[in-house]
Amino acid sequence: MKNIITFISVFLISCVSYAQQEGMVRYTRTTYWTKLNSTLPYLSKQEKEKQAYMFGGRDEGIEYTLLYFNEKGSYYTQSEQLNSWEEKYDYNGRKEVFGIKRDFDKNSMTEVFEMIGKTYIMEDSLKQLNWKILNDIKDVAGHICMKAMIQDTIKKQKIIAWFAQDIPIIAGPERLYGLPGLILELDINDGAVIVEATKIEPLKITTQMDLPKKMKGKKINELAFQDMVRKFIQEKIKEEQNPFWSIRY
Amino acid sequence: MRKLSVFLFFMFICVATFAQNPIRTTIKGIIQDTSSVGMGGATVMLLAPKDSALINFSRANDKGIFEFKNVKNTAYILKVSYVGYLPYQQILAPSATEIADLGNVGIKPISKELLEVVVKTARAPLTIKGDTIEYDARSFKVPAGSSVEDLLRRLPGMEIDAQGNIKAQGKDVKKVLVDGKTFFGDDPKAATKNLGAETISKVQVFNDKSEQAKLTGVDDGKKEKAINLELKEEYKKGAFGKITGAVGTDSRMALRGNYNKFNKTSQFSILGYGNNINETGVNWSDYGEFKGNNSFNNNDNGDFGFGGNRWWGSDGDGITNQFDGRGFTNNGGGGMNYNFDNKKTKFSSSYFYNQTRLFLDQYQNKKTFLQNSAFLTTDTSSQNNFRGNHSIGTRFERMIDSSNTLIVKTNMRAGMKNDVNAMFQSNLTEEGLLRTRAAIKNSNDFTNFYLNTSAIFRHKFKKKGRSYALSFGYNVNNSIGNENLNSLTKFITAGTFTEQVRAIRQINDNDNRQNMVKGSALFLEPLSKKIFWETFYNFSSDNRSVNRQAFNGLFENRRMDSLSTYFENNVTYNRIGTSLRYSFSGVNISLGGAALRYDLDGKQFPQKGGQLFSSVTKSYPNFMPYLDASLELKNNLNFNFSYNLEVSAPQIADLQPVINNNNPFFISTGNPDLNPEKSHSVSLSMYKFDPATFLNINIWGNYNYYLSQVVYNQTIDPNTFIVRTRPENLSGGDNFSLGTYFGFPIIKTKLTVNLNPRISVSNNPTYINGILNNSNNQNYNLSFGLSLTPNDKLIMSLNTRLGINNIKYSLSEAQNQNIRNNGLDVSIKWNFVAKTFLETNLDYKRFRNERFGFEQDIPIYNVSVRRLFMKENKLEVRLAAFDLFNKRQSILQSGFQNTVVNQTSLTLARYFMLSLTYNLKGHESKLKKNQWWD
Repeated sequence: MKNIITFISVFLISCVSYAQQEGMVRYTRTTYWTKLNSTLPYLSKQEKEKQAYMFGGRDEGIEYTLLYFNEKGSYYTQSEQLNSWEEKYDYNGRKEVFGIKRDFDKNSMTEVFEMIGKTYIMEDSLKQLNWKILNDIKDVAGHICMKAMIQDTIKKQKIIAWFAQDIPIIAGPERLYGLPGLILELDINDGAVIVEATKIEPLKITTQMDLPKKMKGKKINELAFQDMVRKFIQEKIKEEQNPFWSIRY
Repeated sequence: MRKLSVFLFFMFICVATFAQNPIRTTIKGIIQDTSSVGMGGATVMLLAPKDSALINFSRANDKGIFEFKNVKNTAYILKVSYVGYLPYQQILAPSATEIADLGNVGIKPISKELLEVVVKTARAPLTIKGDTIEYDARSFKVPAGSSVEDLLRRLPGMEIDAQGNIKAQGKDVKKVLVDGKTFFGDDPKAATKNLGAETISKVQVFNDKSEQAKLTGVDDGKKEKAINLELKEEYKKGAFGKITGAVGTDSRMALRGNYNKFNKTSQFSILGYGNNINETGVNWSDYGEFKGNNSFNNNDNGDFGFGGNRWWGSDGDGITNQFDGRGFTNNGGGGMNYNFDNKKTKFSSSYFYNQTRLFLDQYQNKKTFLQNSAFLTTDTSSQNNFRGNHSIGTRFERMIDSSNTLIVKTNMRAGMKNDVNAMFQSNLTEEGLLRTRAAIKNSNDFTNFYLNTSAIFRHKFKKKGRSYALSFGYNVNNSIGNENLNSLTKFITAGTFTEQVRAIRQINDNDNRQNMVKGSALFLEPLSKKIFWETFYNFSSDNRSVNRQAFNGLFENRRMDSLSTYFENNVTYNRIGTSLRYSFSGVNISLGGAALRYDLDGKQFPQKGGQLFSSVTKSYPNFMPYLDASLELKNNLNFNFSYNLEVSAPQIADLQPVINNNNPFFISTGNPDLNPEKSHSVSLSMYKFDPATFLNINIWGNYNYYLSQVVYNQTIDPNTFIVRTRPENLSGGDNFSLGTYFGFPIIKTKLTVNLNPRISVSNNPTYINGILNNSNNQNYNLSFGLSLTPNDKLIMSLNTRLGINNIKYSLSEAQNQNIRNNGLDVSIKWNFVAKTFLETNLDYKRFRNERFGFEQDIPIYNVSVRRLFMKENKLEVRLAAFDLFNKRQSILQSGFQNTVVNQTSLTLARYFMLSLTYNLKGHESKLKKNQWWD
C-alpha cells in the first residue's frame, strides 16, 4: 500500500515536471539603449554619462518574441504585437525576416534573418555552447530558474541565462540553447538587453516550427556569419557608429 | 575464504598493474531529499571544477537514480537542482574505478518562507553561497526614509523585537556587517538603526563561526548568525559640469559654465554665460545638458488631426545661439532646470533669463524695377537693439493608470525690447541721379508678455487600439510700447519748397493684445487588425485687439487721426475631420478629409471707446483633402508621399487697416478684406541606407501651388519713388524644390564622400502699379564634401558649395539677375602630440552679381591649439586666432518681387583668444569623428 502511494506521488511529480514539454513561450525583449551604447568603446566617459543623463529611464525599446518548443527542437521568431516605438508613434514598421530554428534530434540549426542590409539563410550543425552554471535561483514567469552564464566573444557580450528547473527542454530564446532546462530569461551585458518570458502556453506543435517554404537569401554557415559580424563591428566601431543598429545585439 | 583471497590477490595485481585510473568512468547515484525519498526529475549536472563550465547533464529517473555513462574520468563538480530545493554541489575526484557510485546524494529544501516571500512574491533572485543565502533588498519596498531595521522587519525569517534585537531563522544575530566590515563597533543595532534602507542593495544572512572558534582556529561547531548589508552602487547618481573663461584682444571675453546634478529620479542643472563674441546663446549640446531628459518632451502639442506636426523639433527656447552673422553683440544669460521622472510622474520646470544687445552697421543697395524704368535705393543704417527675456516653463505628466495619461504644460515669457535705428537713405535714378534723400531715426520701446498653457488627456480603452484624447489650451500674447519716428526727407526735383522737404516727428502708442482659447478631440477606432479610423475636431477662438494712437510731435503732440486706430478682431476656427489608416508591416497609408471654417469678425474704431467706424464679418468654409503614405521596404529603403490642401488664416498685421509709415519711402497698409491662403501641397521623399557599404541616399521633393496667396502689391510713384504696399490675394504662385544627398565611403573608415545637389524654383506674382509681374526665382546649389581620416590622430575635411540664383522679372526682362554664392571650406584636426591638438579651418566665400556690379571675396581663416592638463584631463587651455586675415563681414544677396538687393554688414573680425576650461569629468583625449550633439 505504502509503495503504491509513493508510486502515485512520484508519478504525479513526474507528470507535473514533464507537463510542459511542448508549447510556446512569449518573451518581451527590452533594449536599454543607454546601457547598450555605454558598451561602445569609442564613446568617452563623459559622453556615456551625458547619454545616461539625457535618456536615463526613458531609453527602453520593447519588442515581443515567441519561442515554439518541444523535445525535438525549437523555433524562435518575432510576435505580431507592435513594439513600443510603433505603439508610441502609431506606426506599423516592416517586419523583418527572422526565424531561428533548432533541431536537437538532427543536431542542426537553420536561421533566416536580415543583417547588414541583406537576408541570410544560415545552416549548420549545433555546437556545444560553453555554459557556466552559477549558484542563484529566481522566479521567472512562475518557474524557478537557475542561473547560467556564457560569453559571446564575437559581440563581446556577457550573457546571463535563467533556465527553468522544471521544464527539461534544452531550447532558448535568441541563438541560445543547451542548458538542462528551458531558458526563460536572458540578460545581455548587464542589462543592455533583457529577454524575459511573460507567459508559457502549452501548445500542440504541428507546423509552428516549420520554416517558410519559400526562403530567399544568401546561404552561409556559422563560421562565415561570425566572420561577417566580427568584421562589421570592427569597421563600425572605427567609424564611431553603433554597429547594433544593423545587427541584432 | 580461499576464493576471497584469490580474488583480493587478483585485484591487488590489477591495481598494481593499472596504477592509473580508468580513462572513462560511469558516475551514478540516487538523489534523495532529507526524508530519503528519491527525487525524480532532478537535474544533475557535471561541471568543470575550475570555472563551473557545464560538461554534461542528465535527469534523475522517477526513483531519483541518475547515471552518466562513459564520461571522461576527471575531477567534476556534481551539481543537483530541483524545484524548491537548495542547489546542491559536491566535488568529485577522478574515480579509481570504472563505476563511481556516489550512493545517496541528499538535497535540502529551501525554507518555505524564503521561497514564497522572496522568490515568488518579491521575485528577488536568491544567491546561494555555501550556507549563505543572499537576496536583493531592493525587491522589498519600504517607505522613503525608513531605516534598515524597518527593511529587515519585512524580510522573511527575520524577527526584530522592541529593543531592536534581531533574530534570523530563530537565532540571535550577533553581528551586522556593512560591505563586509564591522559598522561602528559590535552593536548590531548601530547599523540597522542608523542606516537608511534606500542605501542598501543586498542583505546576506550567513552562519559565522563563533569568536572562540576564530580565536582558537578550531571549529567548535557552534555557528552564529550574522548579517551583511551590501551598499548600493550609486552609478545613477552623480554630477558633472564645466566652466570656461576666455580673454582676447580688443577686450573680447567670454565666460560660460554649467553644472548638473542627478540621481535616479531627479535632475538639476544650472547654466550661465556672458560674452561679447557674438554667442547669443549656448550650443545644442549644452542646451541638451541643461534640459536633460526634458529635451524630448516637445512632441506633445494638443492640435490633433492631420497637418499637425508630429515630429516636432525644439526651437532651443531662445537659449541656443541664434546669431545671424551680422553686427556685434553683447550677451548674457542664465537659468536653472529641474526634472523629476519616476516613470509614473514626470515633472519639469525651468527658468531662464537672457539678453542681447546688438550693434549693427549695415549698408544696403537695392534696385527696384518698374515697367520701363528702374531706380536705386542705397541705405546706410546704424542700429542699437536690446532684447531681454525671462522665461519660465513647467510640464507635468502623470500616468494615472495604465489607460489614462494627463499632461499639463505652461510656458511664460516676459520680455522687453528697445531698438534705435538711424538710417540715411537715398533714391537714385537708373542713371545715378539723386532724386530723394532721407534721414531717418526711429526708436521703440516695448514690453511683451507671452503665456502658453495646455492640458492633454489621453485614454486607452480596453479594446486594443481604441483610444481618445482631449486637449485644452489658453494662450496670451501681449505687446505694449511706443515708437518714436523721426525723419527728414528731401525731394530734390520738386518745384516748391514745401514739396521739397517733408518732416515727420511722430509718436505711436501701441497696445496689442491677443488671447486665444482652443481645444481638440481625437478618437481612434481599430476597424480591423490593419485598418484604423481616426476622427478629430479642433476649435479655437482667437481674440486680438490693436490700439494705436499716433501723435504729431511737430504739432503740439496732437493726435493724428488718420494714423490712429483701434481694431478688434476675432477669428473662430472650427475643423472636423476623419481619416482611414491602413497600417501593416511597414505600409502606413492615411486618407482623409476635413471640413474647416474660419469666422472672422473685425471691428474698427477711430479710438478705443469710440463710435464703430467699420466692421467686417466673414467666414471662409473650406474642405481639406489629405493623403499620407509611407512605405518601408526591404534593405532599408523607405518612401514617403503626402498631399494636402493647406489653408491658413491671414496674419493679423495684414488685416489691420493701419498705415505704417516707419519708413517714409515704404508705406504699408493692411487689408481687412484679405482671404486665407490656400495651397495644394505635395511632398515626396526616399531614403536608402546600405549598412554593408555605408551608402546613404536621400531624395526629397516638394511642390506647392497657391490657389490663393497673400502677396504685397505695390504702387510706386515714378517721381518720388515712394512705395506703397497692400496685401492682397492672388492665385498662380507656386514653388518647387528637389534635393538629393549621397554619402558613401571610397575607402571604408578612411575616406568618405558626400554630394548634395538641390534645386528650387518659385514663381511669385505681384501687381506693380497695376501690372502683373511674375518674378521667377531659380536656385541651383551643389555641395560636395570629402572627409579623410588617415589615422586616429588626423581628421581632414573639404567642402565646396556652388550656388546660382537666377531671377527673371516678367515686368522687365532686361533686368534679369544672375547671383552667385560659392564657397570652399577646408578643415584639419590634428592630435600632433599627446593631449595636444591643432585645429584649423579656412572658409573662403565668393559673392558675385555681374549685372549689379557686385564682386566680393571673403576668406576666413581660424586656427587654434589646445592642450589638456591635470589628472583625467580636467583642464583645457586653448589659444585661438579667429579670422586671421581680418576679412569677416556678412554679405547677403537676394532678389524678390521686382527688386534685387545686396547687403553688407560689419561683424566681429580678427581677434585672438586664450581660454581655459575646467571640466569636472575631464576632457576627451582623442579626436572624435562624430561629435555627439556638438
